Amino acid sequence: MVGKDCVAIACDLRLGLQALTVSNNFPKIFQYGDNVFLGLTGLATDLSTVSDLFRYKVNMYRLREERNIAPKTFANLVSSSLYEKRFGPYFVSPVVAGLDPKTSKPFICGFDSIGCIDFAADFIVSGTATDQLYGMCESLWEPNLAPEDLFETISQALMSAVDRDALSGWGAHVYIIEKDKVTKRLLKGRQD
Amino acid sequence: MVKVGEGNSRAATFQPHLGRLSPIEIYHARLGRLGKAWQRDLSSLSSGWEVLLGITGRDFTLIAASKAAMRGATILKASDDKTRQLNKHTLMAFMGEAGDTVQFAEYIQANAQLYSMRNETDLSPSALAHFVRGELASSLRSRKPYNVNLLLGGVDPITHKPSLYWLDYLATLAPLPYAAHGYAQYYCLSILDKHHHPDISLGQGIKLLTLCIDELKRRLPVDFKGMVVKAVTKDGIVDIEFDDDKVVKSA
Amino acid sequence: MADRYSFSLTTFSPSGKLVQIEYALNAVNQGVTALGIKATNGIVLATEKKSSSPLADPSSLSKISLITPNIGMVYSGMGPDYRVLVDKARKVSHTGYKRIYNEYPPTRILVQDVARVMQEATQSGGVRPYGVSLLIAGWDEGILPEEDEEKEAEEGAGGDEKKKPSGKTGGILKGGPMLYQVDPSGSYFPWKATAIGKSATTAKTFLEKRYTEGLELEDAVHIALLTLKETIEGEMNGETIEIGIVGPPADHLLGVEGVEGARGPRFRKLTPQEIEDYLTNL
Repeated sequence: MVGKDCVAIACDLRLGLQALTVSNNFPKIFQYGDNVFLGLTGLATDLSTVSDLFRYKVNMYRLREERNIAPKTFANLVSSSLYEKRFGPYFVSPVVAGLDPKTSKPFICGFDSIGCIDFAADFIVSGTATDQLYGMCESLWEPNLAPEDLFETISQALMSAVDRDALSGWGAHVYIIEKDKVTKRLLKGRQD
Repeated sequence: MVKVGEGNSRAATFQPHLGRLSPIEIYHARLGRLGKAWQRDLSSLSSGWEVLLGITGRDFTLIAASKAAMRGATILKASDDKTRQLNKHTLMAFMGEAGDTVQFAEYIQANAQLYSMRNETDLSPSALAHFVRGELASSLRSRKPYNVNLLLGGVDPITHKPSLYWLDYLATLAPLPYAAHGYAQYYCLSILDKHHHPDISLGQGIKLLTLCIDELKRRLPVDFKGMVVKAVTKDGIVDIEFDDDKVVKSA
Repeated sequence: MADRYSFSLTTFSPSGKLVQIEYALNAVNQGVTALGIKATNGIVLATEKKSSSPLADPSSLSKISLITPNIGMVYSGMGPDYRVLVDKARKVSHTGYKRIYNEYPPTRILVQDVARVMQEATQSGGVRPYGVSLLIAGWDEGILPEEDEEKEAEEGAGGDEKKKPSGKTGGILKGGPMLYQVDPSGSYFPWKATAIGKSATTAKTFLEKRYTEGLELEDAVHIALLTLKETIEGEMNGETIEIGIVGPPADHLLGVEGVEGARGPRFRKLTPQEIEDYLTNL
């Protein structure tokens, strides 16, 4: 979710097989540099595979180029890496959020499982609670939210959405990304 | 890393017989292939009736596995040990398709032991869990994936912290305080949710395990022939005597 | 399995030298002189275009090449080897970068990729080293030198502790003009100004005298022509001199107008007419 000079990204913590909850502490957001974040939903095994793959790719990029990857560059890397597996895809729907290292402009985008990028100026949602999240974000989000207001907005949107989805919930991680500061908060939420 | 059994090569691509499909249809067909696999009903597999349980406590990890070796409706053996020791303080329990289970488990065991011999040090439970996940993940997208679900329990040799890893055949890895595989999940997780505490002693852990197994005896429609129970502690792996003959009153 | 019995032709002499590479350097040192000068706002690459016969059509001959919209390259040594390297450089800048990140590689990355191609030719079976040295000039997006100074001054005045990305694997890539030389061995060097080829030594001595810090692109072109004049064998005119510059975005080469955010290539070759204009002002 985009705010004024800041972005936020949040995920729930549930891991389950259909209706059965296997774990209630399974984070889905991964950090790749000072202000580049990747959120992943989908098949759990592919979350691990894909997040590890990008950790490797981003570390190699950093060693080669002697700089951190920019969110936009990372988004294109995600896109090309997913499309590489066009005929045997990873079953994930990623979300990228970050601030441009040079201009500090907020950047968010989402992808389908084969890497088609969906750029957005306001918010991106993904996962089993997609419909509910669209509804919540559509009604709560407004332009130019300050970091604290953005935190409130994204948290309320996520918590309310997952409460209406049987397949997600069990607490949340929320990251607020500002120019020189990243704040990570853990939300408890309904534990059922 | 050189691995034991690398000669047993598997082709790394899906080769479904899709005939004349357009690329888009192929994509959906593939989605279906894996999609069907992870929505498979447990009851259609005899491995669904196997039981794996794991519980961590203050200074131990308990692993329990049912003793019945089944094929279809027949029990072939009533004293099967579905666990393998990977090193001094890591134990792995497994269930799944008949041939795959032992083959995969012993492949992992061999590699864990090879590492220990070469480096004169053991891999930590966490490192082993990630190694197993890597092997399962590459197997998943091979021509013939292994159908094995695992629990990996251990105690860190340095910090003495107990740990338990839940892995399924899709190479999903989750570190958990307590875990189960198969139908046992539906009966035991709620019991463990209610009674488990990270600080329990080994005695309390065994009591909790008994609670779970009693419930399974009460509610599972098959006789799983009792449980092999082992505890991983900082001093190594010990067999726990478990009374399988205890009669549990049905509900 | 032909490559099974194909050994590297570049093997160590007992004294620890790789003579094949030294021979390749000899080929370079017989080549036509090429030079590059870095200015604050750009780079100039220049060389002499020699034709063996008055019947040859000089407009069809080109020694300075565009690799990416912001990177250009010139050589000294063997022309055919150079064209192979231009092809490979263009290809790797797409397969190894643009098709992955949807942006063109920074100069150093491209230089490293080309250097790897040249190094591999010194260690692979059945091949000989490339008989060329290259000058690669490019412009990188990133923190420009002057912006950097401003920023430091700002931070010094502010005095507050700010998180500053730094270190080899941290910071933001330095932007602005970049000039590199790549040799047949695969080694590469960054330069402010340099020359390669037959009269490299003379040219470099001349450049050492003429080069000053804070040079502008226009001055650099001027100095490039003066240096070339010192070493040139034939006549100097728009047909016999080739110049490539890295400068401000050349939006007139874009082919379209009014597209928001579209920027023209920074690298372009000067036309014979433009070169003539510079020569008359010499």
